[in-house]
Amino acid sequence: MPLLLDLIKTMAVFVVVAYLYSKSPWFKPLTTDRLRPQDKIYLYLFFSAISIMGTYLGLPVQDALANTRAIGPVLAGIMGGPLLGTAVGFTGGLHRYSFGGFTAFSCGLSTMTEGFIGGLVHLYLVRKHHEDQVFRPVITLVTTMVAEMVQMLIILATERPFTDAVALVQVIAFPMIATSACGAALFMSIIRDQRNMYDRAAAAFSTRAFTIAERTLGLLAKGLDSETTPELARIIQEDTGVAAVAITDREKVLAFVGEGSDHHQIGHPISSQLTWTAIEENRVVFADGVNRIYTCSLDRACPLNSVLVVPLTVDNDVIGTIKLYESRNKRFLNMNRSLGKGIAGLLSSQLMLSRYEKQKNLLVMAELKLVQAQVNPHFLFNALNTIISILRTDPERARDLLIHVSNFFRMNLKRTNGIATLREELAQVESYVTIEKARFEDRLTVNMDFDEDLMDLRIPTFTLQPIVENAIKHGISNMLEPGVVNIHVYRADDTACIAIEDNAGKLCEKPDGDGLGMQIVDKRIKYLMGSSFGTSVECVPDVMTRVTIRLPLNGFVNDSSTHS
Amino acid sequence: MIRALIVDDEVHARDELEALLADTGAIEIVGKCPDGLAALRAIKSERPDVIFLDIQMPVISGFEVLSMIDEELMPAVVFVTAYDEYALKAFEENALDYLLKPVESERLARTVQKLKKILTRPPQTAYPLADITRIPCIATNRIKLVAVSQVEFVRSDVAGVYVVSADGEFFTELTLKVLESRTPLVRCHRQFLINIDRVDSIVLHENQAGHIQMKSGKTVPVSRRYLKKMKEDLGF
Repeated sequence: MPLLLDLIKTMAVFVVVAYLYSKSPWFKPLTTDRLRPQDKIYLYLFFSAISIMGTYLGLPVQDALANTRAIGPVLAGIMGGPLLGTAVGFTGGLHRYSFGGFTAFSCGLSTMTEGFIGGLVHLYLVRKHHEDQVFRPVITLVTTMVAEMVQMLIILATERPFTDAVALVQVIAFPMIATSACGAALFMSIIRDQRNMYDRAAAAFSTRAFTIAERTLGLLAKGLDSETTPELARIIQEDTGVAAVAITDREKVLAFVGEGSDHHQIGHPISSQLTWTAIEENRVVFADGVNRIYTCSLDRACPLNSVLVVPLTVDNDVIGTIKLYESRNKRFLNMNRSLGKGIAGLLSSQLMLSRYEKQKNLLVMAELKLVQAQVNPHFLFNALNTIISILRTDPERARDLLIHVSNFFRMNLKRTNGIATLREELAQVESYVTIEKARFEDRLTVNMDFDEDLMDLRIPTFTLQPIVENAIKHGISNMLEPGVVNIHVYRADDTACIAIEDNAGKLCEKPDGDGLGMQIVDKRIKYLMGSSFGTSVECVPDVMTRVTIRLPLNGFVNDSSTHS
Repeated sequence: MIRALIVDDEVHARDELEALLADTGAIEIVGKCPDGLAALRAIKSERPDVIFLDIQMPVISGFEVLSMIDEELMPAVVFVTAYDEYALKAFEENALDYLLKPVESERLARTVQKLKKILTRPPQTAYPLADITRIPCIATNRIKLVAVSQVEFVRSDVAGVYVVSADGEFFTELTLKVLESRTPLVRCHRQFLINIDRVDSIVLHENQAGHIQMKSGKTVPVSRRYLKKMKEDLGF
């Protein structure tokens, strides 16, 4: 009985060690699911130490030691596999062997065996995909019991005289099996609890990060401006729970939300030296409120005394900062510190994306202008030539045509503004068609049929005209027979459709080369209105080409981005 | 007076050029054609001294028209176009001049001066002409362009010249002589040109003439006069 009591005392030492260990930085590797080689070395050293400690804490019984040396190897084996378990067992066993005495050899051998048994359990659990069970104390309990029993058997098998061995085992078997198993199980339970705590904290952290990511997504689509940043600051303040959040560009405060907003005013130039440092040196600046104190440069009564300033960067250029403040009576949480950095990273990528989108739009616009420049000279000179001729016979008509030419070019200049109503676009097409009809006379007939309800639809400029121009330039003008172009504006379910059909059927073979204008129309509609809209072509060679432009029924809604 | 033909698919462009040419007082307009085929016909019938030729026209472009004109009838050529992207090609085609629409009367006067100079001289050397790749044919009420590679043979009779392809027989305005000189088709008979690639075999008759068996199964006569040359061409 006194032996059991003593062993329980030593077990208590293990529990304390386990507790301290779980709070130490060396515990970190066990919170992850995979052990790196260097983690295994740490574990080896630590558990070898535990094993050796078990030997030192052992109580001499009949020239042998009743001890808890098995805890180290078994735990190491269960957590790190047979190699680690055996290695720890070998070290612990070698150490025990060096003490000599009765059972020196059998104890050395059995310690190694025990580590190996722990490792086998580990292997079994991993093979059966029960990795989560590795840290279950019950499994440790049973494994250690079995391992200790095996040790008893080894003592009986190897130590002579046999009667002494039997006597020894009779004394130490129960207390050693019970205390080692309980100690190992307690040890494991502490490790498991600590792991769970890490998991829960990580889960809470990611939930918060994801909430912020989700809520801020798209807010910076138009870049950093004073329009959307207050909303952004509000979301960050709400989700992190810090006292205040500010967003600045390189010069001034764009948004400030939370405590101190009475004197931290939007539009003010940046006054904090910390922020300047963050911008100039492109690094995170942190004043924790203890070692480094943030002092408001605006108002002495400001309740804020700690701050995290994270630069927002695009292509390594700082374009602003995001600042998280905490007030005097609250500690700046480490979690908020990493959240703050994470948010800044997230927003930086959003800004990058918005810059990319802008550049893409610029590219489309540039292509558009290029096509306009390519298209016009033929049309212009042929139109002028036609009008010059008509001037001889019908000056009134020539005058009328010149007005159409000027209308056409005026609309062309306006095109770059981005959005126009279908009515305006059709007016331009009408001017264009009138001029072309004068050019081709009876070789060209244009029929228009509109759904009046759709006439106020807001559509990207340069949508209709290039398609009509294609039909005439690449279709009708290549026909000897009379050409007909039908322009039909109609509604199909929840889509507004504009069909431009000619009876030439010349677009079948080369939809790419000459259809450059059309490609751009398609690209632009998809970019502005979504990929389910755009243009499609049907063609029967020498019979007809029909281009259908599909647009959302509510037209183009948000037009601010097209000005950029 | 210089006899001129105007070829342009746009009626107002034709009218304007006619008015401008009439103003010069040196030109007589012998015809105005809205497309290339009409132009080939008018060149045959009117034998103009000069053609004012638009480049961008339906089905057969101005350049193509030029390649289809019988060499003996070849008039001076002035290209008229709205945009100068073809200027270089126009001069490669040995055009006499190149006018931009809208045409200025001062500029046109210079062209007429050039014309006067050239036309008083003895007949100039022939234009090196481009090959014909597509033969314009009349099929019912439309123009069909038959690629030379698709042609099996071409035959002529009193009714005119017919291009024979797998799709059928098509009437063409072009003469056998023009086709012989500007396409890879080979003369095998006074009234026949054949596409060597479509020949299956040549059957020799006792009278030193023979006939050609085409891959399609059709037969074409070979006259004694051309048989020898054909054999040489085929490497006998």
